[in-house]
Parts: sequence; structure tokens; C-alpha cells
Amino acid sequence: MALGFNFASADNGEIIPIIKYDARSGRISRRDRVDGINDETDITNTFKAIFDFENIETGTINFNTGSAPDFAVVRIGEQIPPPPTPDHKPGARILIKLSKENGGDIRELASNAKSFLRGLNALHDDYISGVVANKGKLPVVEAGKAIGISTGEGARKSTNYSPNFKIVSWVDRPADLVYIPKSRNAAASSAGYPPSTGGTKVSAPSDDYVPGFDEDDDFG
Amino acid sequence: MTPFEKYDIAHLSPSSCNTFTAAPAAFILQKCMKKNSPVGPAAHRGTSAESGVVFGLINPDASVDECIAVAKDEYNALTALIFDGSVDKERNSIGDFVRMGLAELRPYGIPSSTQGHISVEVEGLSVPLIGYYDFEWEHKGILIDLKTSHQLPSKIKQPHARQVSLYKAARGDNLSARISYVTPKKTATYELENYREHLKALETVALTIQRFLSLSDDPLELCSFVVPDVDSFYFNDPLTRQAVFETWGL
Repeated sequence: MALGFNFASADNGEIIPIIKYDARSGRISRRDRVDGINDETDITNTFKAIFDFENIETGTINFNTGSAPDFAVVRIGEQIPPPPTPDHKPGARILIKLSKENGGDIRELASNAKSFLRGLNALHDDYISGVVANKGKLPVVEAGKAIGISTGEGARKSTNYSPNFKIVSWVDRPADLVYIPKSRNAAASSAGYPPSTGGTKVSAPSDDYVPGFDEDDDFG
Repeated sequence: MTPFEKYDIAHLSPSSCNTFTAAPAAFILQKCMKKNSPVGPAAHRGTSAESGVVFGLINPDASVDECIAVAKDEYNALTALIFDGSVDKERNSIGDFVRMGLAELRPYGIPSSTQGHISVEVEGLSVPLIGYYDFEWEHKGILIDLKTSHQLPSKIKQPHARQVSLYKAARGDNLSARISYVTPKKTATYELENYREHLKALETVALTIQRFLSLSDDPLELCSFVVPDVDSFYFNDPLTRQAVFETWGL
């Protein structure tokens, strides 16, 4: 545990509830699972949360898996892996702690929508600027009116909304806002295709073979 | 009461998981309705040939003919009440299977254990996954499962990868887990790759079985969720075929 990795939690499939940003409407909602059914509550107008930018993860995300999304993301600053499949699009994932009014719990916010990423990127710029004077602290963020961005023309015209996040204050890291690296799930760990079983022929080792022993080892 | 207790299932194995994957109807017949399919000559050939190879490995001075005799004696006992044209065909090939198996595995030396029982608990699964590996050379860090067949595969088959991944999980990550495929004329031993993924796949199958069994206390209702492929070898046995007809009307 010297490096602080919680391997048990990383592999036990623990699911962190999410906050959903709908880029088509600019609305923010919290999703709760009640009796096996997803229940969404719009919190756009009251949204306020602490963002864990120290541990934001970037990379690529595939939301079109037919089941759970596949995140090929790493903590900011680490080498980003190549997209495992063509369906993996650039995206980001960040842990946030909602204000008491919004539930007060820890949530995951992730998206690969360009309009969302624009707003998140702008907020990150504000974080970079502000953290210098607020070393070790995390920003408290509110959401202003989302910004509509239209693309295309005529019948192909569409409008998406970028979040208009604003830092309103800085606070110490809450005790329950703990970043734990997650491993990608098994289905994804083979880079998007079924794992090979093994087609390399092997033979018996020579008689003097001792596993794990290197002749150059010096135990003296 | 867990889904498995309802059907008096104390454990799952790679074999039962592979049956569920390939033929869910066969799984229901065997595990829920307790209508076991008789083992055919080909399976007995595999068991017997393996016994001959085991004898030859733990008795390095035994002649190949002695090992073949051990295998044939066992095969004759196992098939004594099977009146099927393939009994003689399989018997005639046993000698070559044993000979090729010994040629492939005797270079490894005397195994530290054979037919080793393993049991692995899976989070969320209410029964253990159990199995029996064929050979381990603990001092060499090698575990091998022997498969006899009339055709030599060019790589490890998926069901076998899942099976051996369980053995590796139980016996140690550092083991070299291998599968030796033996035909009457050829052999190939392949090293298992991506064992964690295959273990995860096995766990996924086991958890799927658990969810499936939880759907109903009535095996006939479970039957209503699946359709057997009656051409599958799982239903070759006439009694099993009849049971399929009586249950599904197919």
C-alpha cells in the first residue's frame, strides 16, 4: 500500500453513482438506482459541487457498448492509452462531491461530448489559475446558464449546450472525496477484442531448470 | 435458500459452466432435472488414456506397453456395458494416445501431484468453483491438463482456457499453465495466455448460471426459456434425446 493504490476496491466493481450532463439540453441530473430502476432528478438550477481536479481522468470513453461504458482513461499527467476501439472518443471523468442541497454524496461525472468537454476545459483553466493561490484546496463549482453552440445548416442544424461552470469558492478536500484508480473491466482489458487463449507451443524445461532462479543472482 | 440450493447443486465446475455455455438445455437436464447423460466411449477413452499416461509418469521405468495395458484395462471396465460401434474404434486408438502422451509429458519428469482437487470462491457466487487438474510439477512451476482428441487444435480452445485459468488461480499466479493436446499421431502443448481474462469469463458464466437458476424454482419453467439444438452431441445419447423430446417436444 506504499503507493496508496487500493487494489481491492479497484477490482471489486464498486459502482459510484453518477451525475449526468445532457449536452442536447444543457441540463444536469443526478441518477439514483431505486429498486433496480434508474431515477433521474434534475439539479441544474441548484447544482453546486466540489470538483476533484487533482485527480481528473482523461483518455477515451465508449458509451456505446450496449452495457456499462468502457473507460480507457488515466489520471491527469499519466500517459493516455490509445483508443481501444474506434468507438472510444476523447473524454474525461471526474469525481465530485455534491452540496448538501443536491444530496451531499460523492458522484462521478463523465462525458465524451465535445460541448461538455469545452465547458469542463474552461473550468479547468480557471482551476489552474486559481489553485496557485489556493494550494491544496479544491474548487466549489456552480453552473450558470448553459451556452448553446449550433453546428450545421438547414435541416442538419443542431444545437448542443456547453456547461457554464463557475468557481465560487475554494475548500479543503472533504474526507469522503477519495480518488481510487479503477482498472478497466475484463472485457475491455484486451483492447477491445477477445483475449487470445494461447497458440504458442512449449516443451518440457531442461533438467537443470529451476523456476525463478537466475544464475547471476547473488544471495551472498 | 440460494438458487443453487433449490436444485441441490453444491458446486460448479469448468465442465458444468462449459455445458451451460454450449447447451443450456443440457445443463438444465443434468443439473436441475437430474437426468444425467451417460458418458460415451470417446469420453471413456480420454479418461483411460489419461490413466495410462499418469501410470507412465509416476512409474518412469514402466514400459509403454505396460502403460497402454493400464489404460485398456480401465477402458474395458468403463465400457463393459456400452454396446456401441464406437467402443472398439476408441479402444483401438488408446494405445497411440498413451504412446503420444508419454512422449510429450515424460520429459517433464515425475509430477509432484496428479488429479489435484482445487476449489475457488467467487465473490457473489454462492457455490464454489471446483475442479481437478491433471498434472503439476510444483518444483518446476508447471501445471498441465491433458486433452485427447482425434484432431489437433492450433491453439487452446476457449472452454479449456477457462478451465485451466481456474487451476492457475487456485495453484498460483506464477505457474506456467499449459494444455497438452494429444492425438494418435501428433501432440502439442500450448501455454495459457491472458489467464485473468479467461478466469473472469468463467466467473461471468458461473454468475450467469446463478442468475438463470434464480428465475424459477420449477425446472420446467427454466426449460421454457431455452431451446435445445437436438443435433448437438450433448443430446446424442438415445435416452437424453428422448428426454429432450419429452420435455421440449422437439
